[in-house]
Amino acid sequence: MAIQLQQVSYIYADRSLWKQTALHDIDLAVPQGSMVGIAGATGSGKSTLLQLFNGILKPTGGSVRVLDVTIKAGEKSPKLLPLRRRVGLVFQFPEQQMFEETVEKDLCFGPLNFGLSLEEAKERAHRALLDMGLDPALLARNPFKLSGGQMRKAAIASVLAMDPDILVLDEPTATLDPLSRAELITLLERLCREQGRTVIIVTHRMDELLPYADSWVVLEKGRKAFQGSAQELARDPFILEQCGLTVPQSLRYWRAVADRFGLDNEAPCLTAESLAERIASLCAQPEEDGRGERDGYE
Amino acid sequence: MNETYRPVHAAAGEEQISVSLKEVSFGYDPEHPILQDITLAVPQGQWVSIVGPNGCGKSTLVKLLNALLPKSGGEIVICGHKLEEETISDIRQCIGMVFQNPDNQFIGATVEEDILFGLEGLCLPYAEMESRLHVYAAKLGIDHLMSKHPGELSGGQKQRVAIASILAMEPGIVIFDEASSMLDEGSRNELLGILQEMRTEGKYTILMITHDADEILAADRVVALAGGQIIADVTPEELFRDEVLLAECHLQMPYPWRLARELHRRGIDAGVAADEKELIDRIWPFNYNK
Amino acid sequence: MVMNEKLLLGRSIETGSWVHRLDARAKLTGMIVYVAIILLSRSWLALALLAVFSLTVMASTRIPLKYFIKAAKPLRYLMLFIFIVQMLSVKEGAVWFSAGSFSLHEEGLRLGAFSVIRMVFLITFTALLTFTTTPGKLNQGLEGILSPFRRLGLSPDRITLMISIALRFIPTILDEAQIIMKAQASRGADLQELSLKEKAKMLVSLLVPVISSAFRRAQDLVYSMEARGFRMDARRSRYHRPKWGGADTAFIAMFVVLGIAIVIL
Repeated sequence: MAIQLQQVSYIYADRSLWKQTALHDIDLAVPQGSMVGIAGATGSGKSTLLQLFNGILKPTGGSVRVLDVTIKAGEKSPKLLPLRRRVGLVFQFPEQQMFEETVEKDLCFGPLNFGLSLEEAKERAHRALLDMGLDPALLARNPFKLSGGQMRKAAIASVLAMDPDILVLDEPTATLDPLSRAELITLLERLCREQGRTVIIVTHRMDELLPYADSWVVLEKGRKAFQGSAQELARDPFILEQCGLTVPQSLRYWRAVADRFGLDNEAPCLTAESLAERIASLCAQPEEDGRGERDGYE
Repeated sequence: MNETYRPVHAAAGEEQISVSLKEVSFGYDPEHPILQDITLAVPQGQWVSIVGPNGCGKSTLVKLLNALLPKSGGEIVICGHKLEEETISDIRQCIGMVFQNPDNQFIGATVEEDILFGLEGLCLPYAEMESRLHVYAAKLGIDHLMSKHPGELSGGQKQRVAIASILAMEPGIVIFDEASSMLDEGSRNELLGILQEMRTEGKYTILMITHDADEILAADRVVALAGGQIIADVTPEELFRDEVLLAECHLQMPYPWRLARELHRRGIDAGVAADEKELIDRIWPFNYNK
Repeated sequence: MVMNEKLLLGRSIETGSWVHRLDARAKLTGMIVYVAIILLSRSWLALALLAVFSLTVMASTRIPLKYFIKAAKPLRYLMLFIFIVQMLSVKEGAVWFSAGSFSLHEEGLRLGAFSVIRMVFLITFTALLTFTTTPGKLNQGLEGILSPFRRLGLSPDRITLMISIALRFIPTILDEAQIIMKAQASRGADLQELSLKEKAKMLVSLLVPVISSAFRRAQDLVYSMEARGFRMDARRSRYHRPKWGGADTAFIAMFVVLGIAIVIL
């Protein structure tokens, strides 16, 4: 397991007058190399949960085990710097955390903090930029002069440059246009499938992540309401409504088709393409001769 | 396909024009204009979606209308007022704007103060402020939040406050500049509901900058910008049928449309279903007939 | 989010007591008189009288005492520091303790204790003002108090607008600074685990994003204020018109009487 939470609670120390979401009794297991979506309504504790993954927040109850480091409530935690390199945490609007005058310098900031030489850091920066689908020519540019989508990708690359085993992102696609959003999700999926990194994404647009995520975690008011595979979620998507979320269209359509044709035991088709393909094959099935199936409609 | 076509360019002579732009341009450097040669007329009561890739000048365009940014050339007429130095404050009264970031447009320290900010600027008498405060807070469903500080509100609630503050000033034109892009799914749907109610009332001309397929579909008309120019002026249905235009605007089809396209490619002409039940009703015969 | 608690000063706590209902101008004037009284209190008797008076007023707001204590808490080290400095620097009165050149005098201890007690009164009583008055009303009161200075070329509207925007946005910006701190810590820049030179670099990595974000917010805010028709120094009407009543006059009279009593004592 890349991440394992046992009975984890997090309660904010101060009794401030402001709204804060605590976490209660969270059990969670994220297998190495998997792609996980985390969903939940505003204020369900998603952001708090993410900050437990690299020790920015320490649990006030239970234990958090990330890779080979265990952080137990009430015990002095081990040195966290090595863990932070291996767990890349990308906050919301990461482009707002850039500060150097060139993209390259910003990308080197992380690797240098973790003790790499300038040479190695530059090498990492170059690779990270390529992994995020950006032109290495951008290295010399001022990050604030890039377009919105490029800036977001460069900012994610600045975390990726630490070469983390686990990449955790909070709403990485927020405010991007639909094309850039789809592109970004595809890039993140490649990091998971081709490079074997564990990728965890918090999103309130489940639609765009559904075709790619291996499993989902749904939070409600600081508690875990669901954890399971996309297939399990597709079997009963209406748990989302109980958690104050909207059931994504792709799930609703799959559910309707699966109910009508009794497809509950197969892997869900969560893209328009795959669902159309499945429907077409259903419509063609009764006919003996598989080749002539289309002729009736054309 | 089963779309309901709403006439857009009907009876041009009789309509009142709310927003009119003639050859409007904007740029800091004449060599590299950000917007050029924008000509557009929006009749009273119409709901127009403005779409285009990030950085195409959409947000700049709407800021020219009430002189938040100064146009470099051309003519702008808003509700019969020609945009000039002297008419700026009249024009600003005609236009309400809701911006993207829920936090940064919350001016007051409480919900009540935020709504009052604009009303006090209009120099309204007490009784009028009192009545508008209650009418518009109730209308947006925020009357129980009047003494709350923005830090205690969700993003969706803050956007409701912004809308209440703006509608309370009773503008004829309301502009939404990616107002839903920082909200969660539930709040986005609520915002769309508010807009649909506004349309039903018929008092408002709505301009909405958006990337959201559902929001675009709800509009009467779509104006697409790219590279600082208008590249299309169509109905939402025409936009979603034109894959080249969609790609130019960095947009994607709504899910039911994509599904209809994919089914069509596979020889099943079920059309665009309104929801999943309708889809089942439509594809069932294909299965059954076989 | 943790920062917000430290900004307890500046949040009103509604209980609907008679102090809450007073005109903000009366409360501000009362506060000014109170500060003068603190400066004039030079005897234990005066302090005792001040304590009885202050606690009575605080109790009558029906706001739990712990909130007042919380408001004074962030300054406890400053108070300790002032106490020690006073204690060590004043070399008058009976010697209570001495070791070599080091000595503690009765007068030093007395003055140190005095300073701390006066500071506690000052802070808790100012907290009372912000606890019982919403920022909007407080601002309006301030505008009222400052309006005589209009003739001197001072613009009370500008000052109060500045204050209200600062009050509105400081918590937001502090929250954001915290997120940026966490984000940079996630990129390996953790203050606790760094050398001094690296700490300086870390500061840049915090300040640049915090400042540029503050500018972005300011730009957005200007757009939305202008879009709502705001013009500097333009005429505005007022929804909350302060009403001066008998209770307000009585409130100020109370402070004046206390002041006279303390001076006579």
